[in-house]
Amino acid sequence: MNLRRQPIVQAAVVLVAAYVLFEYVIGYGLPLVGVSSAPVPQTVILQYMAIVIVGVLVYFSADEARWKSFMQPVRDTLTLPDRRVPRGLLMVAIPVMAGWMTYQNVRLSFGAPATLRSIHPAPPGEITFRGEPITLTGLENPLRSSGSMEEHIALGRSIYTVNCVPCHGDRMDGEGHFAPAFNPVPADFTSGGVLPQLTESFVFWRIVKGGPGLPTEGTPWDSAMPAWENILEQHEIWATIIYLYEQTGFSPRTWHEAEGEAH
Amino acid sequence: MKSDRLGGSTGLSGPVFLASALFAGMVVQLAAAAQGLAQDAEAGKVVYDLWCAECHGVNGAGDGPAAASMLPRPRDFTQARYQIRRTGSGQLPTDDDIRAAIRDGLPGTTMPGWPNLSARETEDVIAYLKSFSRFFGMGDPPQPMELGTDPGGGPAAIESGAAAYLALECEACHGPSGRGDGASAPTLEDWRGFPIRAADLSEVWLFNGGSSVDDIHTRVLTGLDGTPMPAASDAMNAGVVTPEEVWALAHYVASLGPSQAPPLNEVVRVGRAEAGLPGDGDADSWGQAEAFYFPLGGQVIEPPRNFAPTVDGVWVQGLHDGNDVALRIQWNDPSRSPDPSWDEWQLKVSETLDMDGAFDLDASLAAVDAEITEDEPRGDAEGEVPRYPDRFYVQFPFEIPTSSQRPYFLMGDARNPVYLWTWDSEQGVGAARGRGLASAEELPEDAVAGQATWSEGRWTLYVRRALVPDPEADGITFAEGATIPVAFQAWDGSSGETERRSSISTWYYILLEPPASNRVVVAPMIAMLLTGAFGLVLVRRAQSGD
Repeated sequence: MNLRRQPIVQAAVVLVAAYVLFEYVIGYGLPLVGVSSAPVPQTVILQYMAIVIVGVLVYFSADEARWKSFMQPVRDTLTLPDRRVPRGLLMVAIPVMAGWMTYQNVRLSFGAPATLRSIHPAPPGEITFRGEPITLTGLENPLRSSGSMEEHIALGRSIYTVNCVPCHGDRMDGEGHFAPAFNPVPADFTSGGVLPQLTESFVFWRIVKGGPGLPTEGTPWDSAMPAWENILEQHEIWATIIYLYEQTGFSPRTWHEAEGEAH
Repeated sequence: MKSDRLGGSTGLSGPVFLASALFAGMVVQLAAAAQGLAQDAEAGKVVYDLWCAECHGVNGAGDGPAAASMLPRPRDFTQARYQIRRTGSGQLPTDDDIRAAIRDGLPGTTMPGWPNLSARETEDVIAYLKSFSRFFGMGDPPQPMELGTDPGGGPAAIESGAAAYLALECEACHGPSGRGDGASAPTLEDWRGFPIRAADLSEVWLFNGGSSVDDIHTRVLTGLDGTPMPAASDAMNAGVVTPEEVWALAHYVASLGPSQAPPLNEVVRVGRAEAGLPGDGDADSWGQAEAFYFPLGGQVIEPPRNFAPTVDGVWVQGLHDGNDVALRIQWNDPSRSPDPSWDEWQLKVSETLDMDGAFDLDASLAAVDAEITEDEPRGDAEGEVPRYPDRFYVQFPFEIPTSSQRPYFLMGDARNPVYLWTWDSEQGVGAARGRGLASAEELPEDAVAGQATWSEGRWTLYVRRALVPDPEADGITFAEGATIPVAFQAWDGSSGETERRSSISTWYYILLEPPASNRVVVAPMIAMLLTGAFGLVLVRRAQSGD
């Protein structure tokens, strides 16, 4: 009997391949070839796998004959006299597994409760800076059209090194010397998932309002990011933003791109 | 229109750009390898100005704009005094030494490792660093010392190392248990006159020169130039210790604490003490409670900020008996504040460290300053150094949250206050309500009790309260089996830490183990029986169907 023609083997191969794709290829394989990516969360993998399983079942049950040959190995195992041993093993193994899963559910767990956190929550259209209203929508970095770029970068570098390095680190990878004390960990500016995904006005909002200014889905009570309006002037923040992009080599997302996606 | 200009900054798409950058980098690396990685100081200046100058200064004098918020201060390359060397005391480092310091950084300081620099960039930076001092290039290149080979550890070596620790008078600075609390510790300064701590030898993961026994041996043998740490090679040559004893000393130092940074568990497991709760922090029964380590960071969120905190971590244990819960909290602090022998230290720290960062914050802070009411210094005659007590806060929400929403981790805010267990080395244990940093308002009805003892550079704090607060008192009810948010905050008075200048953590959890329940046995049994019965029915039906 050719194993590769067995529908149930084919189904298993598809499921394993799908799992490998979701768990390893997307998160760890793509970055190897230079495409920026991130590991898929377990809950999302669970959803994807459920969809794949449904798809496989739909495929095999769409045709009477195919369904029959798909189910044949199952039926054989349940009924044939010469399969008594594997049948007995399954009759023991499956209930034991069910018991183990139940035990995992009811036993006392010392894990931290899961919290869902939105990494880049939607920004408000307008914020205040020490009481002065500022419209974020369509806002550009004013320093890019005035003054000397070298001076902006130099100012931003000094501000970053004194104020941001303790958490975000000299390497800008979120591994500053105080970072281990904070949860969630500080943002990694060298990641393709942070600066290039954000407009400068978004970064400005995050710096000005910090953790306390996050909407509820950003779990503002946990973030150690200060509200820098208490410490820095507006032009200092804009200069720091220019430095962030210059030093990491990323380009900010433009309003043009942001609108293109929304439409 | 402006956005077009911004968007059009590069004509290459991400992957293509990355690939070509990778290729260009490989070409440079190959070329460098072909030349045996010749160093190019001019190319090194480009890298240095981009990544190093802000702390070490454009002229390498260790005086960059950020230096004032760092303790220890960044290295001054102009005098070529290097701490981390394998060469003899007073000698220049080898290129290998400088390369290792750049790659691995100096743990326990603000100097990170730079493994992300290419070999090419690293070599060029080394050349540029050396160009700051005329000493490099004079005479023969420095040679590493003969380090010998490790004869091995074990109880005998540790015992011999403990004797060498005394013979070399290590405890004068590092203290009897190695926690940096020696009698001379408050007087230590580096060659530039900046205050410097005697290393806490129980925290190898924060050793400036690496945590392995080999690393420790090399540091002991060659000393840390520019600091008060002498080279044991001198004592060895004078016959005070043998080479074997210096190796033994390295093993002894490595035995003083965990071999690496303790792993972070987010939940403190508070077990049931069936034989009753321990009555104080010294009770033997604490041995049965698992200890959890939480790293603390400087409070750099609200001014005045603390860029160089003393307390860098805390060990937490908990036990409960169904009526009361007790926590034992331990942290290392070389001073038992307030302590006049640390006045000079505190003065030097306050002169060295810009607590608010290097900027003129006056204008922007006016609003914030108005809210800040500094502690009235205790023992404060005119012209004297203010003496502050040591402090520790354990923070909980007033109620166990039913959603993920919690009070702001930094002692709550006006709308969502936090419940605090407060301890102060002068006033003892109490409870308070926090509505933001430095806003603790005492809760006198609270029945929380406890005490703290300081021994050889470590505080042990014992706190105890009933699971259910008194009816007239405001406070959290500790429910068994629930994950209850908890956070920590510590102050070292002798380093000028008071009010907002503290060490902090974000939220973690404690979980009080509920009484043993037979549910964990019964539920899986039922699941197994049901599944088994279902399987039998399935087989029976399949067989009879044929």
